[in-house]
This record gives sequence, structure tokens and C-alpha cells, in this order.
Amino acid sequence: MIAVEQIRKNFDGTPALAGFSLQVGRGELFGLVGPNGAGKTTLMKILSTLIRADGGTAQVGGLDVTAQSREVKRLIGYMPDQPGVYQDMGVREFLEFFADAFHITGPRRRAAVDRALARSGLAQRFHDSVEQLSFGMKQRLILAKTLLHEPKVLLLDEPATGLDPIARIELRSELKQLQAEGVTILISSHILSDLEDICSQIALIAAGRNASDAEGHSVIQLRAPRAPVRVYEIEFMGDARPALGVANSVAGVRLLQSGPSHLVVEIVGGDDQAASLLRALVMGGVNVVRFDHRAVDLEERYRLAFGEKHP
Amino acid sequence: MNPMIRKELRQRMRERRGWLLPSLYLLVLSAIVIFIYFVTTQNPDRSSVEGAAVGVFLFLALSYSQLALLLLMAPIFSSGSITIEKEQRTLSGLLTSLLTPGQIWWGKFVSSLLFVLLLLVTSLPVLSMAFAFGGIGPWEVFSATLTTVIVLASISAIGLYCSSTFQRSVHATAVSYATVIAITVVTAIVFFVRLQIYQSARSPSTYTWYTLPLNIRAPMYLNPFFFLTASFAPPRQLYPAWTTCALVFIVLGALAAALTLHNLRRSRDV
Repeated sequence: MIAVEQIRKNFDGTPALAGFSLQVGRGELFGLVGPNGAGKTTLMKILSTLIRADGGTAQVGGLDVTAQSREVKRLIGYMPDQPGVYQDMGVREFLEFFADAFHITGPRRRAAVDRALARSGLAQRFHDSVEQLSFGMKQRLILAKTLLHEPKVLLLDEPATGLDPIARIELRSELKQLQAEGVTILISSHILSDLEDICSQIALIAAGRNASDAEGHSVIQLRAPRAPVRVYEIEFMGDARPALGVANSVAGVRLLQSGPSHLVVEIVGGDDQAASLLRALVMGGVNVVRFDHRAVDLEERYRLAFGEKHP
Repeated sequence: MNPMIRKELRQRMRERRGWLLPSLYLLVLSAIVIFIYFVTTQNPDRSSVEGAAVGVFLFLALSYSQLALLLLMAPIFSSGSITIEKEQRTLSGLLTSLLTPGQIWWGKFVSSLLFVLLLLVTSLPVLSMAFAFGGIGPWEVFSATLTTVIVLASISAIGLYCSSTFQRSVHATAVSYATVIAITVVTAIVFFVRLQIYQSARSPSTYTWYTLPLNIRAPMYLNPFFFLTASFAPPRQLYPAWTTCALVFIVLGALAAALTLHNLRRSRDV
């Protein structure tokens, strides 16, 4: 549904995107993670037709975002980071204006606005001024406005920033509901636990390019039924050299970290391959005291990929 | 109806300046009428005052004062029009909707101009007082009003261009006012300086506007007050001075509109 190939964008000679690629399937809830200045917002703006790429291609629903921007606008709903509202408008008036802006007219307009009010939980406050709403309610209003024309693709740039925990839970729940309705969602966020909870895959981006985690993956699978690649921590007593030798000699095993009494390895092939490595270590004279599968959470993968300076 | 026009007009009329500015504007114009009336009727050098002379003087004074006041007000409405969308971070919502940059521009332009035209219309009863004294016909009122509208449309388009170029309303408004000063004051200064140089280089002789070289006359074709003066000519004498001014202001406005659309299409800071 979203296909980005070698996209490039410079601002005054400084590259914001330098050949980033991404594929998001129909109906997926896909995360985009990277440090500040990585190019996430620039990518979102290109996909939402706000700015043009200098090179590469970007398609949404098979439509080129530059050449077919008007058709793309019908397909997408874009929620920028730090979105704004017209403070002096009424809640209903705000939604009606954007319904008009999306050419939703007649009875469809009234139905769309009513649906948006119900969905955002603002049905009781339709007569209030936007200025009177709390920050969380304004975010809900903006999301409701983004959904007015029933987009097939949602582009959400840091939608949870500034929300309290309850509002974040409600946002996650709404995004899951939208995904269940068949909407494809690309979401960037710094709140990794939120992404981990809702996304099926997460792409890593740094310095405008695809980045890889410590295991070499540029796209992290979070909802795969059975991960073909697993990370194991091995602790042993005595000399480290035999353990290193064995780890480097067994097929399907890749050394990620090593220390005087521990190794971290990536094993491709599941439990059988892990058993082979353990057997080889023991046969090789290594006194193994711990051999554990380590479930690496998103935060740790992020830390390993981008370093501790980017929390 | 373009949703932008409806939204802009509603928002403008909700602001305090929506009623404050027309009230102040009418007060100032009324004060000018009273002042002009007393100046013309209490002239000790004249034994009797003709009503037509009062009417003409009143009309001219009001037309020039009105243009001056509206030139001061037009940038207030147009130059903050797009920057406010940037400042409150709503421009991206407009640009990702199905509204085209042309519709966004047209909505902003019409609402800015309509508010200035509202001021112009509210002043018509004051202007029509000149009719009571005579000496002024509907043609003079029509041509002066049309000229004022063309100037204000052009200034509004320039204000919108400034608004699309700058990030903050204060900068856009400052540059819009600088433009107004440039076309009103600077063009007049340049014209008079060049006229003095031209006259000093030649023996005293009578000359008319059209016998002056074009390079000396040229700056005044950009001057709104000269444009208004040219509009007082009879219909058959509007060409070439008034027509040239009209063309210059229309081209200036069209150029500003084209550049604004370009900026809206290339807007990256949204």
C-alpha cells in the first residue's frame, strides 16, 4: 500500500533523506522509528504530498505522490507532529469546514461529521469552542478530522506526543480498531512501548537511510508467529577462546557480542540449531553455566541500533 | 461557495477588529467631512461660497483620505492571512485536503478584500454627502471607487505574497507596509527629484504631463494617489494615464498572486 524506493530529499544542501526505502502492506499497522533528525517527518511530508522528493519514488496505493498528488490526497489522512486547530471555531464547525474541504457535501457531510463526533467522543461537546477542549481532546478532534473522508491510508507523525497515559491507551485502541477496519497505518513515534503494543512491523531510520539493529534487521518483525532468528545469551567459566571458536564455527550462528565470560549470539533455525550450538560448546570443552534465549524488546533493539544517547 | 471564504469571513467577523475598525474608520471620515466643510465655508477671503465648490472639495478630500486610510488597513487583513495558518500550524491541514492552492489563495484574497470593501461601502453615505452640495456626478464616484478597489486588490495580493513568504505575521506585515510606503512615498519622491533635474537642465518652458519623457513619468504609474487623480478625468480622457496605472496595478497583483501560489505549492515549513 505504501512503497518508497531510494527516496532522497535535501534542504539547503543538507540531506534529510538519503536513499530510504520502505514497503508497507495493505492493512498493516507499521511503525517508523529513529532518532531526532533521522528523516521521519520529511518522509511523512513527502507521502502526504506536502513536499516533493528530490529523487527516488514514493507511492501510496499504487499512485505516485508527486504526479498524482490529488488522487493520493483522497486516499490518505495525514496527522502532522504538533498539529494545529482553529481555536476560535466551534467543534462541529471545525469538522464541517474540513468536510467541505474534502468535498463531502449534502447528507454525507452531516453523517460524516456526526460519525467523527461520535468516534472522537466529542458528541456531547459539539457546541463548545475548540479553545475550550483539553490537549488530549484536541488531538482526538484532529484525528477525527483526519478520518472524515474515510482514508485508506493513515500517516501519523508522533500522534501520541504530549498525551497522558489514558489518552495514549485510547489512541492505541482506536488505531487497532482502524486497522481491523482495513486501514493501513504508518506511524512514527518515540514512545516505543506504544509501537511495540500495536505495530506488526517497525522500520528503522537514521540519517535519512534505512538503519539496522544489532541483529542486522532494518525492519523489525513484532507479530511474526514464530521468529526464525533468535538471540541467545551464553555464560561460561574459564577461557573465552574455545567458546568464541565454537560460536564462529557452527553454521547459522552469528556472534553479536563477546566478553570474558559471556557471548551473545544470533541463531537462525530455531530450537534444533540452538541445541546444536550447545552440544558443540560442551563437546568443545566450554563450561557452560547459562544458555538462555533472550527476548529483546523494542527499546533494547533501539538502544543497540542508535546508541544510548538517543533514548 | 469556496469553504475558505466562508471560514475566513466568519473568523474575521468574530474578531474584535471586525466591528472596531469600521467604527473607527467612519469616525475618522466623519471628522474629515466636518473639518473640510468648516475650512471651505469659513474662508474669510470669499464673500460667498458656491455649493458645487464645497461638494467638489469635499469629494476630493474624502477620496484621497479614504485611499490613504484603506492603504494603511489593507495590509492588516492580508499580510497575516497565511502566516496565521503557519503560526497556528493549520496550513498542512489545508494543503493535504482537497482544497487546491488556488482555492486557498482565492479564499484568503476574497476575504481580505471583502473586509476592506466593507469599509469602502460603509463610507458611501459619508461620500454621498458631496452630492448634496453638487459639482459631483455618479461618474466621478464610480471611477474613484473602481480605482480604489483596483489599488486595494493589488495591495491585498501583495500582502498575501508577503504572508506566504514569511513565517511570522509581524515580518509579513512590516514588509507589506514597506511596499505601501515604496509605491506611495518613494515613487513620488523619485518623480519630483527627476522632474527638478529635468527642469533645471532646460530653459523655463511650459510642459504638460505627456510632454515629459516616459522615464520621468514612469514611477508615478505605480503611485496609488496619481492613479486616483487620473480617475477624475472625463471618461474619454482615461487613456493613457488611468489605463496605464490600471494595467500596472493589475499586473502587479497578478504577479503577486502567481508568486503566492508558487510559495503555497512549495511550502515546506508546514
